[in-house]
Amino acid sequence: MSKVPAFLLALFTGTLSVAVSAAPIAVSTTGQLALAPDVAVGPKGEIAILWLAKGNPDTPEAKAAAAERAKSGHSHRSSMNLYVAVSKDGGASFSAPVRVNREDDEVWGFAVSRPRVAWGRTGTLHVAYPANEMQAKLGKSVLTARYTRSTDGGATFEAPRRLSTVTDSDLSSVIHGGFASVAAFGTMGVAPNGNVHVLWIDTRDMKGGSDNGSVYGVVSRDDGVTFGPEERLAAGDVCPCCQINVAFDAKSRPLLASRQVTAGNLRSSSVGRADSAGHFTTRVSTGGTPWHLDGCPLKPTAMAVQGTHIYTAAHNGADTPPGVMLSASNDGGKTFATPYAAHPGAQVSDAPAFAAIGQRVLVAWHAKTDGPRRVFYRTLDADGSALGAPVELATGEGSTQTPALAARPDGRAQIAWQQGDLIYTTALEVK
Amino acid sequence: MKRREFTAAAVAATIGTLPATRALAQAAGAAMPAVIPPVSADSLRKLLGAQRGKVVVLNLWATWCAPCLREIPDLVRLEQELAPRGVVLIGVSMDEPDDGERVAAFHAKYFPAFNTRLRSERELDAIASVVDPAWNEVLPTTYILAPDGRVVRRVQGTKTHDEFRALIEAALEPATTR
Repeated sequence: MSKVPAFLLALFTGTLSVAVSAAPIAVSTTGQLALAPDVAVGPKGEIAILWLAKGNPDTPEAKAAAAERAKSGHSHRSSMNLYVAVSKDGGASFSAPVRVNREDDEVWGFAVSRPRVAWGRTGTLHVAYPANEMQAKLGKSVLTARYTRSTDGGATFEAPRRLSTVTDSDLSSVIHGGFASVAAFGTMGVAPNGNVHVLWIDTRDMKGGSDNGSVYGVVSRDDGVTFGPEERLAAGDVCPCCQINVAFDAKSRPLLASRQVTAGNLRSSSVGRADSAGHFTTRVSTGGTPWHLDGCPLKPTAMAVQGTHIYTAAHNGADTPPGVMLSASNDGGKTFATPYAAHPGAQVSDAPAFAAIGQRVLVAWHAKTDGPRRVFYRTLDADGSALGAPVELATGEGSTQTPALAARPDGRAQIAWQQGDLIYTTALEVK
Repeated sequence: MKRREFTAAAVAATIGTLPATRALAQAAGAAMPAVIPPVSADSLRKLLGAQRGKVVVLNLWATWCAPCLREIPDLVRLEQELAPRGVVLIGVSMDEPDDGERVAAFHAKYFPAFNTRLRSERELDAIASVVDPAWNEVLPTTYILAPDGRVVRRVQGTKTHDEFRALIEAALEPATTR
């Protein structure tokens, strides 16, 4: 069955509330596999697209590195580099890719543990990502949470800093294929007061018995110049491979979206607002059928906050068919409405992302209908109810996946996605 | 607390079975492959097609997926028990396609008797779509294919030897009563 272009579909269904406002632009380098995009829009409308890029595995250097990794056998190292492209003309054009990390292939990540990018209030560009390191005492691989920033609009980046503590914990026989410890699947956000929050899922509390992670994090109150002490923010009940997300209320209090694991190995998306100490001691399920799984879901929980409204989206394998479920709270996170399917009729849907724009919320995801995986989106009203049917992103043929969204100051949304081996971006009109 | 103890015990039990599995394979003269054979969507389709008449247990796993590693020894044992009745185990590692040497080393060290391939497709989904266009990228995922090639069960998350055995026996029944 041939594909119906998105704009024709919208004309027939009369549900066009979002439209691509410009031709998509490829920002990554041709010939290099790029994946896991993130997007951020700054206060002046600056746009940053961040992505992972896999080096060429056939170079002598890459082969030597692969041989070195093979010696450790049981290992989950991935060897990526991190790039950013910036637009200062509202997305009409983007800079050439700038490498963010200093050490070759140091970045660990993939579509469901994507590095994060955010603009500060005064134009600082913040980047957080998981990185490969060796724990010298143990002689084993670990994953650490790293941070760097650019104070010249993304042209150059400071030397990356490790934010997580490397302990003597050695769970290499239990977790993530041989890492002694892991700080990954994280998130970053800049609160309205300018504080930079970096959070990640940490294995140090597993202690060889539990499969679940804890959330640790740090806060910078000086635009990333320094970070406060590392703290445990949620203890021992977080799905260790389900990326977390942070957002903020108007008072700059962080909210955490995670997949919480409860008795019986039930995994449910949940949202918690930080208490006065900054800890997420109480979290509320976003509803739906708890997912019983003794496995790796690899399913993030996306979240957006607008006033007292909280919007969440996450794949739930317990639903039939499995797919992205949307839920909303209109009382600041005390309760959540019954979730509903983002994409009824899709064979499967996953990888949701949000942008809250005025009284509207845009949600995007990828789904399979009758062909390859494609990016879709739809608009939600302030209360979280759907305003229109899913619309397929109008772009080239083939697979499109892992969308990222950010609100623009002009009322549009910036979307980035992987298409084939490249990262593309464009602006979407939200009406 | 009980769950923690259970999980620790399960992990310990799994790790404890690894040398036994290796010894079993060595005793049986199983080859220790230097490389894991790559598998594309097309070659997986052909591989499965060549197994018609048998019950195929197709296991998607990865070296980084701890729950996957817990169940592989049980699946290998089940294949040894049920091979005379026409059961074939085929693994597909969902590790990175260019990570073959590391996956091979891991395989040789822990699961040498596990009949597995390594995906050569960049997209995880391309491999799974051969049997399941609606795969949701959860690992482990195990498909049980009837002798006529139909997928009769999709199993997600770790299952025990006995749970798998019951599912495979159910798939064998139509064949033995035909």
